[in-house]
Amino acid sequence: MIDVIVFAISALIIIGGAIGVIALPNPVHAALSLIATFFGVAVLFVQQEAHFLALVQVVVYAGAIVVLFLFVIMLLGVDRAQELGVEPLAGQRAAGVAVGAVLLALVVGGLFLSGDPDRGGAVALTGQSGQVVPTVEGEQDVIQLARDLFTRHLLTFEATGILLTVATVGAVVLVRARGAEDLILDEPGTAQH
Amino acid sequence: MLIAQEFVRPIIDWHGVAPELTLLAIGAMVTLVDIIWNEKAQRIIPTLTGLGFLAALLPVLTLWSDRDELPRVMWDGAYVVDEYSLVLKGLFLVSAYVVVLLATNYMHDGDYYEGEFYQLVSASVVGMLVMTSARDLISIFVAIELISIPAYLMAAWRKRDLKSNEAGLKYMLMGVFASALMLYGMSLLYGFAGDTRLAAIAPALRSSESIPLITLAVVFVVVGFGFKVSAVPFHTWAPDTYEGAPTPLTAFLAVASKAAGFVALMSVVIVAFPEQSGVAEPLLWVLAAVTMTVGNLIAMRQTNIVRMLAYSGIAQAGYMIAPLAVFGDVPSSAARAIVIYLVIYAAMNLGAFAVVITAARKTRSGEISSYGGLFQYAPGLAVLMTLFLFSLAGIPPFGGWYAKYQVFLVLVEPATTAGYVLAAIGAVNAVLAAFYYLSIMKQMWFMPEPNGDHTRVQITPSLQAALAITAIVTLVTGVLPGVIPDVGDLVVALP
Amino acid sequence: MLLNQFLLLAAVLFAIGVYGVLTRKNGVLVLMSIELILNSVNINLVAFGTFNADVSGQVFALFIIAVAAAEVGVGLAIVLLIYRNRRSIDVSEADMLKG
Repeated sequence: MIDVIVFAISALIIIGGAIGVIALPNPVHAALSLIATFFGVAVLFVQQEAHFLALVQVVVYAGAIVVLFLFVIMLLGVDRAQELGVEPLAGQRAAGVAVGAVLLALVVGGLFLSGDPDRGGAVALTGQSGQVVPTVEGEQDVIQLARDLFTRHLLTFEATGILLTVATVGAVVLVRARGAEDLILDEPGTAQH
Repeated sequence: MLIAQEFVRPIIDWHGVAPELTLLAIGAMVTLVDIIWNEKAQRIIPTLTGLGFLAALLPVLTLWSDRDELPRVMWDGAYVVDEYSLVLKGLFLVSAYVVVLLATNYMHDGDYYEGEFYQLVSASVVGMLVMTSARDLISIFVAIELISIPAYLMAAWRKRDLKSNEAGLKYMLMGVFASALMLYGMSLLYGFAGDTRLAAIAPALRSSESIPLITLAVVFVVVGFGFKVSAVPFHTWAPDTYEGAPTPLTAFLAVASKAAGFVALMSVVIVAFPEQSGVAEPLLWVLAAVTMTVGNLIAMRQTNIVRMLAYSGIAQAGYMIAPLAVFGDVPSSAARAIVIYLVIYAAMNLGAFAVVITAARKTRSGEISSYGGLFQYAPGLAVLMTLFLFSLAGIPPFGGWYAKYQVFLVLVEPATTAGYVLAAIGAVNAVLAAFYYLSIMKQMWFMPEPNGDHTRVQITPSLQAALAITAIVTLVTGVLPGVIPDVGDLVVALP
Repeated sequence: MLLNQFLLLAAVLFAIGVYGVLTRKNGVLVLMSIELILNSVNINLVAFGTFNADVSGQVFALFIIAVAAAEVGVGLAIVLLIYRNRRSIDVSEADMLKG
């Protein structure tokens, strides 16, 4: 029972945060609601005994990524409501609603239409309770995770390392100023066109 | 704390991963050279990177000569080195070498950041090498991102140019969105199988009770890859990005990056979806037919040669998707036809871009009208462009005809109505495409130079090499198609 | 706990994210909406992993989080660059390239 209550509360936080991200006119508020969503998801991870992943979710997503978002928003100074007032592409909002609703209907429909018809039909894949992860008795999720990461996914892990390195190098090159010519964050738009 | 199970050091087949590691080492070396000698090293960095691609080709060749050992299955079947992956590794390394040749003078003369550009290209190519062998959802995802993220950055590389910035922004937003959709499909696939390896997913999809959800998973995955290979209707980023990005990078995106998307699509569709070919085939059929038709129709209206090549590349992608529309009956021939098409497409398209970059050194323009009089002042260039355009149009004896011929063979092989209809659509499109290729030729051969300027075009040694390599490959594959190595069957079994 | 409840929650989050990508015009907010989709994928993966008693789902989620960080870094760098050259980061104003 407590499971269901915890799930319901975190689901409400997740959905509420998500709606905030897509609906709030102020980017700073949107970033803050994004944190709510990330925390809600972390709670769900803890509930499924994915403790390490929950930690990473909070540290990387809520910690690093949202701070990066906020940093750029503040740097650009676009913290005032600067959209929602105009709609340059007429009907884009309607199209967004339509596509979003169709996707939701498709996925939910897919979930309910799948599964064994003998068990009522309205079960996605199965309606059984999921077991929690530890497959080896007494072993923590982080040990299992590490074993899988450093055996089967070793090369992928290294590739991710390269990816993060080149992303940093490239981002620095794009944003850095060569000499002092374009370090003019106070007056953007004056850079040479 | 109790550690219930000892960690067993994984056995690594060093020979099997040697191409990736070699390239990685060279990339690191280029970085160091760039850091230590900075400005002084700018001249040799392109050469060094190019040699690095050729050096990484050596282990590919030794693996190929050691074919009795193939397939080398590593990491519980998550990573497979077989003939298919070796041929594609060779293709990516040689294409990347040609791209470096194209970029050498462009990046230097344009006063862009050079060292970092080549590091990003090397990283992207490492991703492609990983992609050819990846048989696991996680490594396919990471490989796609390793290919794309440096490409997003390089598309915006001309920092002062708003067009280039926009190219990067559009490409990045569309690419990241496509990855997200693809991941949603992958998460569903993982749900069915309880395993991320493609070979374990295939049997899990056999159950018929989850058809609606399997369909959704297949659709999301194919749509995600559709963005990467710029299939209509997910192509909208391609022409804008191609026009705005630095032209050598455009060649890289149009050839290598697109080919990597196809490799991912092929691996996933052929290895993981054979049990659900009834779901995947109609989807791919529609994608192929729409892509080639729309690509050709829009290409006809273009006045900028890079945009025209972008749309022509979209149309060519349609031909490459086509064999997958009948893959359920003939998986091996479908893979073979696509690999042959990829090899020939790489040669002729890189060649066309080489001519565009060379001509732009004089004309400083990408408009088709600026090609007037090319034959008078640069006959060699005009002849080469004619060769590449003939090949793109599929006129014998140049490579393009053989690629298209293979696709048609696969389409009629299962003798189904769907296959015949798609082959007919392809034939009509081949005729449509010939029109706009011929219009460029008319411009080059018969129109006067718009400004009356008949100074010769200066062709630098690296551009000469690029033109020579692509022209020779285009010719040889057309005359002696047997030289393209056979890719065999994709390894689908788990160890 | 039922598997379905996680899948339904992820489906709703996914649809909200797609809506956000299609309607938001600010580059930064589009990136945030994409993060919503990635979170819905992670919910799916962890729930399936728990259900199948398999740790690969968590490993996949871990890779997605790492790559998402790189994507956001690169995305914000490009947004910053474009903002330097032009005062707005409105995606629909990026229209020099037409065709």
